Amino acid sequence: MGVYAITGASSGIGAKTKELLLQNGHEVINIDLKDGDICVNLASLEGREEAIRKLHEMHPEGLDGMICNAGVSGACGNLPLIVSLNYFGTVAIAKGVYDLLEKKHGSCVVTVSNTISQGAGRKDIVDLLNNIGDEKRVLSLVDSMDSTNLSVGNSLYVSTKYALARWVRRISSSWAANGVRINAVAPGNVHTAMTATMSTSAKMALNALPIPTKYGQECLMDPTEIAEVMVFLASDAARGVNGNIMFVDGGTDALLNSEKVY
Amino acid sequence: MKPIEKYIETMENKDFAGLAELFTKNAILSDYCSTTASQEEYHIYGKEAINMFFRNKFGFRRYSIMEAEVVNDTQAEFIANFGGYNIMAIATVREVDENGFIERLTVRPK
Repeated sequence: MGVYAITGASSGIGAKTKELLLQNGHEVINIDLKDGDICVNLASLEGREEAIRKLHEMHPEGLDGMICNAGVSGACGNLPLIVSLNYFGTVAIAKGVYDLLEKKHGSCVVTVSNTISQGAGRKDIVDLLNNIGDEKRVLSLVDSMDSTNLSVGNSLYVSTKYALARWVRRISSSWAANGVRINAVAPGNVHTAMTATMSTSAKMALNALPIPTKYGQECLMDPTEIAEVMVFLASDAARGVNGNIMFVDGGTDALLNSEKVY
Repeated sequence: MKPIEKYIETMENKDFAGLAELFTKNAILSDYCSTTASQEEYHIYGKEAINMFFRNKFGFRRYSIMEAEVVNDTQAEFIANFGGYNIMAIATVREVDENGFIERLTVRPK
């Protein structure tokens, strides 16, 4: 059985993914701020370095999979955290364990979001993230933004996830040529502890993003639905899948963007 | 009321559920105006999809119509607003089934 590392597996989609991997008999290392096997803050440079170092110490023979799932929503109220955790933390961890994945011809799965298709992101920020990649400069820019404005947080969130999806696409060819696949999962709105207690207006906003597979049910995706696809993408059964942004949103993206077949 | 009149009424009221109920199960609603607003065309297949699609568009204020005028038994003109971008449009009910439900409706720039 394989060895898989996963970020943000103490709750939500990550916890379900960990559970499924364990059920399949794999060893799973959870990297999270709390309750992890490796407890670090992936929004910080030091936290990322510590996680990468520990993974190398624990499994110098290599990893079968790296699942980069940790992230925060646009409503977290902390704009620097959105940038540092969602984009820079994810890219740093994936790159940091690339040599371990290469040793075992493993695969990497990154969690993005189906909001990347809904046009709320800022292309200038996406370009700064992908093309410049200077965390300090992006954080300086973010400092001037209004963190109390929910639409600003959402736009920044979408930008980080869009940049992440584009990074996956860009890096996928060379990684695959060296035996390491990388794909992304783009989940729709998922039922979590946070969504269970959200306000009526917030629920109405979520309901305005209909999930065709849940038609008439007024409910969100179950974390297991996302986790099952993540486990599939990380497995050898998906050996032909690389550089793919797989929407696991019950069809919301197809509903709103039916003409975008590529 | 004729189907085109009901269509205009539900669109003006942002009544996505009522709008969907005007269509047959396998109806097709095509809107070619969106390309003028730098968006992809809309081709929505099936009444449930029409319900969900306009729930989204109305909910996030990305689509509305104003100054509507029914011009004949099957057509109406209006200004379509795509998230702030206004386009003069003409909607045509192209096919209706024996029970008066819309099978096919197209919206094109006028």
